Amino acid sequence: MSVLSLGSSGRFAPALRFPPVVTFPKTSGIQNFCMESIPPKPAIVDFFKVSKIYSPDVVALREVVFTVRAGETLFLTGRSGAGKSTIVKLICALERPTKGVVEVAGQDLAKVSAPQRQAIRQQMGVAYQDFKLLSGYSVAHNIAMPMEVVYTPKKVIRDRISYLLDTLDLSAKRDVRVDKLSRGEQQRVAIARAAANYPPLILADEPTGNLDSVTTKLVLKLFEQLRRAGTTLIIATHDRSLLLNSPHSVLDLAQGKIVSYQPAADANVPALAE
Amino acid sequence: MIMKILWPILTQTGRNLRQTIASQIMTMMTVCLSVLIFSFFLLIFVNLQRSGAHLGEYLKLIVYLDQEPTLSERALLEKQIRDFAPVEQIVFTSRQEAFGKLHDQLGPDSDLLADLTPDFLPPSIEVSPARTLTALGNIKVFSDFLASLPGAKKVQYGREWIERLASFTQLIRLIVALSGGLLVFTSTFMVSSTIRLTVVTRQAELEILRLLGAESIYIKAPLFLEGLIQGIVGSGLGLLCLHGLYWWVKSRFSGQILLDMVAFSFLPSIMVGLIFVVSILLCTFGSLISIRKFLRV
Repeated sequence: MSVLSLGSSGRFAPALRFPPVVTFPKTSGIQNFCMESIPPKPAIVDFFKVSKIYSPDVVALREVVFTVRAGETLFLTGRSGAGKSTIVKLICALERPTKGVVEVAGQDLAKVSAPQRQAIRQQMGVAYQDFKLLSGYSVAHNIAMPMEVVYTPKKVIRDRISYLLDTLDLSAKRDVRVDKLSRGEQQRVAIARAAANYPPLILADEPTGNLDSVTTKLVLKLFEQLRRAGTTLIIATHDRSLLLNSPHSVLDLAQGKIVSYQPAADANVPALAE
Repeated sequence: MIMKILWPILTQTGRNLRQTIASQIMTMMTVCLSVLIFSFFLLIFVNLQRSGAHLGEYLKLIVYLDQEPTLSERALLEKQIRDFAPVEQIVFTSRQEAFGKLHDQLGPDSDLLADLTPDFLPPSIEVSPARTLTALGNIKVFSDFLASLPGAKKVQYGREWIERLASFTQLIRLIVALSGGLLVFTSTFMVSSTIRLTVVTRQAELEILRLLGAESIYIKAPLFLEGLIQGIVGSGLGLLCLHGLYWWVKSRFSGQILLDMVAFSFLPSIMVGLIFVVSILLCTFGSLISIRKFLRV
């Protein structure tokens, strides 16, 4: 079973399904030339002149325009208050734009019905900056939640939890209540929950903010596995060290505006290193 | 497939019940008590109705007339009576027949009547009303009507006793209506409050479920089921308690004059089923109110 077919289990209206990821072969110079005739991958996230103003007049985003295509990895960078978290919140329909249009999988989030919004959310994994974990419950229960809401069989849930806990070095904490964990451990649980359901789109808001270098590597390794499997990743981070040698798209924000946008092919590694 | 969807919902429901166990028990006990109070008074009312019907078999109203009615007058009187209320039987007794009856009743002392003629006894009409409590309750109205018939001198029946029974039945009817109101109020209000408490207690979890894309049914169904379970357990317990109480009264007071007179029996099974179903519906209605009011999905 492919990664995406688990995410879109066929229970949703076809219009809501994320477009299938086109798997490209490893590219050589000749193949690059040939690819010019290949149509671009479908857009997963589209921002059209999106502004967000919080009451009374705090401008979080100003006319932001960008597109994230299927299978792409996008880093949102910028200092605190640049608007990274607002973008994440707008994509998962936690906030509504004041102006402009936010589309996910071709659906205008302002126009979708409540069931459609829930169907879209089922196909997203979100690791929130404040984790949003259920404090009274165990690590395993928290990771199981997104799978339970789409009625995944118990055995599949158990296996997936074991795999994610192993990958993120949390196996020993399986039955520990999340409020008994350190911030770094809670962060990894939030990431495991975001990845649990094989979602076609993962949003991670400051996913390594509380992690040491060893656990950061574990998280990045998991993200890399997901990326290779075709998952679209949007990672908001102020940690520029994550972007070093990164071949992925980078959207740099400052005071709610796009300062620079470097698509994957043109990622300016030396500039980031500076 | 159904179990695949149902199992997580049932698990959630179980979790809800465990998390607010104290208030759940309180609600179930309140529903149980309300059902018990209502059904207890209903039991008394139903038995009174049965007794009324039973006693009605022996109830007769005697209308004494000042003159012997002719055959055509008898027919007219009978028509007027039957047009006014349902009656089982109408028997006309002439002075001569009354005299004969008295003679028979006196037996060996009948010689007391030797010098008398039947003229001192009035002719009468003996009316047996239909065997319903409604007729019993309206017996005073019926008696007033009979008193107004042409030639009627006096109407005789167990007036005081009938009036007491009628007013007691009215009182029980009122208590049944009030306890029914209490049942409606407690079932919907208490269940609604408990579900509200569950929603508040699980606010964080419900919010996260929404963010994870849980469908409306996944979030609402456990709360709906909670109300359903409260209704089933609460009303089931209430009716069981009533049955226990009935058997205790029956065994404790059997052979006593009052119980023998009123033929004490349990509620008909259709009525028990109706109380059970209506209580459950009220509880689920209570949970629906809270879901609609306090849950935004």
